[in-house]
Amino acid sequence: MIYEFIHNGDLQKVELEDNRKAVINGGARTIEIDYSPNGRLYIIENGVRREVCVAVNGDKTFVDIDGVLYEFTQPRDDVGGSSGGSGHAADPSKVFAPMPGKIVKLMVGLGDKVEPKQHLVIVEAMKMENIIVAHGTGTVKAINFSEGQQCDTETPLVELEAAE
Amino acid sequence: MPQLFKKVLVANRGEIAVRVLRACKTLGIRTITIYSTADRYAVHTLMGDESVEIGPPPPLESYLCIDKIIFAAKKTGAEAIHPGYGFLAENPEFSRACRDNGIVFIGPSPESIRLMGNKVESRIKMANAGVPLIPGMKAAGNHLDEFKKVAAEAGYPVLIKAAAGGGGKGMRVVQKPEELQVAVEGARREAKSAFGDDTVYLEKYIISPRHIEFQVLADSHGQTVHLFERECSIQRRHQKIVEETPSTALTPELRDRMGSAAVAVAQAADYTNAGTVEFLLDPSGKFYFLEMNTRVQVEHPITEMVVGIDLVAEQIRIASGFPMSPHFGNPAQHGHAIECRIYAEDAGNNFMPSIGKILLYREPTGPEVRVDSGVTEGSEVTIDYDPILAKLIVWGETRDYARARMIKALHEYKILGIRHSIRYLADVVAHPKFASGETYTDFIPKNFADWNDGVLDNVEFALAAAAVMQANKKGKGVGGNGSAGRVDFNPWLTIGNWRIGEGAR
Repeated sequence: MIYEFIHNGDLQKVELEDNRKAVINGGARTIEIDYSPNGRLYIIENGVRREVCVAVNGDKTFVDIDGVLYEFTQPRDDVGGSSGGSGHAADPSKVFAPMPGKIVKLMVGLGDKVEPKQHLVIVEAMKMENIIVAHGTGTVKAINFSEGQQCDTETPLVELEAAE
Repeated sequence: MPQLFKKVLVANRGEIAVRVLRACKTLGIRTITIYSTADRYAVHTLMGDESVEIGPPPPLESYLCIDKIIFAAKKTGAEAIHPGYGFLAENPEFSRACRDNGIVFIGPSPESIRLMGNKVESRIKMANAGVPLIPGMKAAGNHLDEFKKVAAEAGYPVLIKAAAGGGGKGMRVVQKPEELQVAVEGARREAKSAFGDDTVYLEKYIISPRHIEFQVLADSHGQTVHLFERECSIQRRHQKIVEETPSTALTPELRDRMGSAAVAVAQAADYTNAGTVEFLLDPSGKFYFLEMNTRVQVEHPITEMVVGIDLVAEQIRIASGFPMSPHFGNPAQHGHAIECRIYAEDAGNNFMPSIGKILLYREPTGPEVRVDSGVTEGSEVTIDYDPILAKLIVWGETRDYARARMIKALHEYKILGIRHSIRYLADVVAHPKFASGETYTDFIPKNFADWNDGVLDNVEFALAAAAVMQANKKGKGVGGNGSAGRVDFNPWLTIGNWRIGEGAR
């Protein structure tokens, strides 16, 4: 049985045998997961078990291994991409706000060349200012909000033309 | 003969509201909670014996509405209001409105709040009381000669600061007298451009300071005490994230002197109830008054665990008119306590605030582990409020024991559904510089500027687990981890034991 998840914009394929033995993206190793009667999951590696916490809400699966957090989304059949917030990560040329807020400052202008991690916009939400950064290289081709405006999570803040 | 209040309204939300409610219940006092529509099923809301809806989610329309809160208190017959921290806790108008409406404000007088909230006035008052202040100008400077004179008196290095605003704008550190003029002119230009006001002033620059604060407590019968210090130097963007007590930087003699200074500050402010006096401590052992917080603070639990007291219950008793309980008269520190603040922030992505529903929530437990939380499974974290979810506090016989216990507890603490800072905090507390007590206010920028959450290391295991969950979910029709994975929130599970009509006599 194959299960697909989107993580950070990339599609991952998990092939599951016996509902407990997993091979990721056709790789060489088999990962064994035990689903215990009390609902807790354990990674079994060389006879040693490690707990992994998992919770599901709709098409999102949240995982915690040793305190490191993961969020996977199930791909939609029609688009092959996903809905909601994590779907936005699939396309680095469109930069979205993680939550509704107010545009405090635009750090780039039309035509600017940007590098990964470059500061693009400062958005104020939850009483704090948050710096939205670029995830790829490109040139700013559109800025859809002006300073002082309220932004949502559906319209990209900034759109980039990918560099070549 | 003083009497404990029969009904108290808690004018706050989240973890601090829960904390105050617990103190009230310990004292047998009937509780009223207030809530915005976003908090209809919040933990604090349902813990109250009665609860009153006070408006839509935005604080300006709910938790900051003095009129609505006073009205709720009168409607329910609450005799006193505890403001918690944040929101209206340090708003003199709120304290006054309570007084004007015959409701006891569990905290200091409006006059004390107003005085200590005014940074210029409070510094002057403290200077007159003989409390050491950061040497520098009392007001803005105009002539370069004034700057030169004060800098020479204070001793280099000095700091030029803008009077009209902060955030590092209009700030210049000056190491030598020759650099002073250029720095003042540069700071003026920057301040003008940032705030439209080029007024600047000068202070001594404290290198590698530690942020040490003292808990003070005063009753209405003339007794004022200090309950020792808290070290709060682990800060990210000027926000405290880890606090501990005792401070590794204080000798018994220094502790005594700072404690006496803290008491002097409280007395000069004519203070009653709980408050905190903040100092900066420089490496040479000199300390300077920074400001006073006229409320119970986020990090009060570490003081409670080391001194062995219930500070919030005592706040309520003092406000009821009782003299301070006898055991506060001779406090002692025993062991070591550390607190980590758990924020709904994505530590792996520039601490972006995270919102969503908490699907799995598992607190650490065990000896000397305390969790003050405002959330539970099913809680919705929204954009409207401060992202603090909970505080994890541990006690240890020694600092090393406390540290080890904290790391263990952080590893046990599981929250799924939103991003949070638990793993980041575990790395902070495990850091060798934290272990050696080198906790200056530049700890985070120096040691954690580029923290990596290690997400790639285990991603295949995570995917495998996600698939196994999906496979088993299809069979059982349940989403989540075991019985606790039910996604629908059941408020009855979080109230705890209760009986209809039961409350204080």
